[in-house]
Amino acid sequence: MNAIMAIAGVVIKELYRRKDFYVLFVLTAVVTLLLASVKFFDDRNIVRYLKEICLLLIWISALVIAITTAARQIPAERENRTLLSLLAKPVTRGQFIIGKFAGCWLACGFSLVVFYSFFGVVSGSREHSFALPQFLQAFWLQWSMLGIVVALALLGSVVFAAPSSNGTICFVVVGGILLLGRHLNQVALRLPEPRRTLLYTLYFLLPHLEWYDVRDLVVYDQPPVRWAACGLAMLYAGVYTALLLYAAWLVFRRQALNQ
Amino acid sequence: MDPIVELKNLRVEFHAQNSGSARKVAIKDLNLKIGAGEVFGFLGPNGAGKTTTMNVLLGFLQPTSGSAFLFGVDVREPIARQRIGFLPESTYYYKFLTAEELLRFYARIFGIPRAVADERIDRLLSLVDLDAARKRTIKTYSKGMQQRVGLAQALMNDPDLLILDEPTSGLDPLGRMKVREIIQRLKNAGKTVFFSSHELGEVETVCDKVAIIHQGELKVEGRVADLMAKHQANLEKIFLDIIGYQPPLAA
Amino acid sequence: MNRPLTRILILLLLGAGSFSLATVLQSRAVAWSRRGNSDSALEVLLGDGRRLFANHFFVKADISFHSGYYPSIFDQEQAPQDSHHMTEEGSAHRDAAEEAHERQMSFLGPPRDCLERFGRNFMVTQHSHLAGGNEREILPWLRLSAELDPQRVDTYTVASFWLRKRLGKPKEAEQFLREGLRANPNSFEILFELGRLYQEDFHDDTRARNVWELALNRWSDQEAAKKAPDLLVREEIAINLARLEEGAGNFASAVDYLELAKSSSPAAAILQQQIDELKSKMARRENPAGHAP
Repeated sequence: MNAIMAIAGVVIKELYRRKDFYVLFVLTAVVTLLLASVKFFDDRNIVRYLKEICLLLIWISALVIAITTAARQIPAERENRTLLSLLAKPVTRGQFIIGKFAGCWLACGFSLVVFYSFFGVVSGSREHSFALPQFLQAFWLQWSMLGIVVALALLGSVVFAAPSSNGTICFVVVGGILLLGRHLNQVALRLPEPRRTLLYTLYFLLPHLEWYDVRDLVVYDQPPVRWAACGLAMLYAGVYTALLLYAAWLVFRRQALNQ
Repeated sequence: MDPIVELKNLRVEFHAQNSGSARKVAIKDLNLKIGAGEVFGFLGPNGAGKTTTMNVLLGFLQPTSGSAFLFGVDVREPIARQRIGFLPESTYYYKFLTAEELLRFYARIFGIPRAVADERIDRLLSLVDLDAARKRTIKTYSKGMQQRVGLAQALMNDPDLLILDEPTSGLDPLGRMKVREIIQRLKNAGKTVFFSSHELGEVETVCDKVAIIHQGELKVEGRVADLMAKHQANLEKIFLDIIGYQPPLAA
Repeated sequence: MNRPLTRILILLLLGAGSFSLATVLQSRAVAWSRRGNSDSALEVLLGDGRRLFANHFFVKADISFHSGYYPSIFDQEQAPQDSHHMTEEGSAHRDAAEEAHERQMSFLGPPRDCLERFGRNFMVTQHSHLAGGNEREILPWLRLSAELDPQRVDTYTVASFWLRKRLGKPKEAEQFLREGLRANPNSFEILFELGRLYQEDFHDDTRARNVWELALNRWSDQEAAKKAPDLLVREEIAINLARLEEGAGNFASAVDYLELAKSSSPAAAILQQQIDELKSKMARRENPAGHAP
C-alpha cells in the first residue's frame, strides 16, 4: 500500500506542477465569466446556458486531464528511464499500475473539486439556490467515469508506443461512446443480420460512459438520480476499471523494461 | 555462509532485430557468487552483457533459462529488492521533484518511518554534497548533481547490497573520489557492493574480487591481487588479454 | 558604426517597409474578401460556415424549451420539423398541432433492453415545456442562432413571441424584430410578428395595420407565384387584419380580408360564418331601423 500511495503522490505532484490543469481551469473560468457578463435581452436571470456551457467545459477539461495525464505516465517513465529506478525497489508491476491509476484518478478528482466549486459559485450566485444532491451526484458520477477513462488510457499506454496515438485513440473512443453509446442498440435493430448481432454485442460489451453524464439533470433542474441507480453505476464503473487495469497488468508484466 | 548474489547457469537470449528468427545470446550460462561484505567489480567491454546481467538481477528481464538469487530469494520476487540499492548508468529521476522529495518518495516505498526517513535524508544529502540544492527541482541539476542524487537514492534504504552500473560515469575527479570514499565506507560497514565500471584503475583500488565477461561468457573471476600476481600484469593488461585485444604492429 | 544603432536602424527600415506594403495592399485586400471587413466576429472567424451552426443552436433552444427531453439524430423522423410548437398560440389549429407535437415527442418508447432501461435513470425522460417565466432560458441560444445566421427568420419570430407574451419585454422584442428586418427586409413573417407586437403589446392599431398590409404585399411578391406557397401565414395575416378592421368599424375591409383567408383555410366554414355575421352588421348599420331602402 505504501508503494501504491507513494507512486500516486508523485503523479498528483506532477499534475499540479505542470501547466495543463491551470490553463484548462483559467480557460473554463474566463469563458464562463465572459458569458456571464453578457446580458441577453436585458435579463440578468438567465442561467441555464451558463450552466450548460460551464459544465461542457468542465467535461472537456476533465477528459483532457484524465487522458493526457494517464497516457503519458508509463511512456514517460520508460523514456526518462525513471521506471528502472522505481522497479529496482520492492515494487511489483501490479503495484506500479495501480499506483499510476490511483494517482491519475485522484488527480482528476482534485481537479473536479476545483472545477465544480467554481461551477457552484457561478450557478449559485445567479440562481440564488443550490441543488446539492444533483451537484454531488454529477461530480461523483463524472469522477467514477473518469476512473474507466484513466484505466483505458493506461491500458493504451502499455499497448501503443506513442502517447500521442494512445491519447488520440482514447479521445475518439471515449467521445464516440459518450455521443453514440446510448443509441447503438437502436442502430443495431435497423441493420440486417449478422451486423445486427455484432453491433448489439458491441453495445453490451462497451462501457456505457454516457450514463455518467447527468449534465442535463443539473442544467434543467431535474430531480436527482435514484441513489440505488447511482450505486449500481459506481459498481459498474468499478468493475470496468478493474478489468481494464487487469488487462494493462497482463500486458505490462511481460514487457522488458530496458527498451 | 550463503552468497548474497548467486547466478546459476544464467542464460539470456534475445531475438536479433535484423536477422529474422535468429536469436542473439546475451548471457551464456553464467555462474557467479558474491559473498557478504565483498566489493565486486564486474568488467567487460561494451556489449559484453554486464547491464543485461544487472537487469536480470533487478528483475527487469526474465532469463531464458537458469536462475538468479539475491539473499537467497529468487529475483522475480519483489521482496528480493527490499535490501538492495541500485544506481543505474544513466541517472534520470522525476525532474519536477526536488532531491528531498525524491528521497522521501523512495523512503515511503520502502516503508521507512517518517522520523527515520527525515534523519536519513539529511545525512545522505550531506554525504553527496546536495544539501544546498535540496529544495531545487532535479530539472535544474547538472549531470554530476543528478549522479549524486542517484547515489543518495540508492542508499536510502541503508541497503545490504549496492548494485552500481558505471557509478563514476560523468563525474569529475572530485565526484569520483567521493564515490570511492562511499564504496570504501560501505565496505567498512560490512555491506556488499556489486558494480560495473570501465575505470580499471578505480576497480583495482577498491575491489576485492572481479569478474571479466566477454560476449556473454564469464572469462575470469577471482581476487584482484591473485589475478595480478598470476598474470604478472595490471588489471588493464589482463582485461585486454582476455578480450583478445591485439595492439597494432609498430611501423 | 555603432552596432546597437545599426540594429535599431535595420528594425526601423523593416518597420517602414512593412507599413508601406500594408498601405499598398490594403485597397487590394478589400476586394479579395469581404469576410475580413465584417463587423461580426463570428463572420470573420467562420465565414459562411457559421450558418451550419445556427441550426444547431436553434435546436438547442428547442431542447432547452423541452428541458432536455428531445429526440436524438437517430429519432430524427420524430423530431419537431418546425418551430411552431415553440410558440403556443400558433393558430386556430392549436389543438391539432398540440396533438401532433405530443405524438412526435413520445419518441422514447419502452426500453429495448436492460441496459437502456437502466440508462434512463440518468437522462431526462419527461416531456415538458418551460413555463412561468423560465422561457427566458431559450433566449441565449436564439440570440446565438441569429448571430450565426441572420437570415434565419424563425429565430426572430420565436424569440419575439416569448419576449412579449411571457417575459413582458415588448421593447426588447421590437428591437430584435427590427434587427431581423434589417437582415431580412422582405420577410413577411417578421413583419407579421411585428404587427402583432404593435397591436397586442403597444395597442397601436395604426402601425399594426401598416405593417400587416406591408406583410401581405411582401407575401404576394414572394409566395404567390410559388407552386406551394405558405398559405397559413397569409391566412393568419388576413385574419388579424380582418379583426383589426372589424374593431375599427371597417366591416367591408374586414369581409375582404376574411374572404382572402377563407380561400385557403381548412376552417372555411367558420370563416364563412364570421363573414356572414359581418355582413349582417353592415346591413344593420345601413338600415338601423330595419326598414327597406
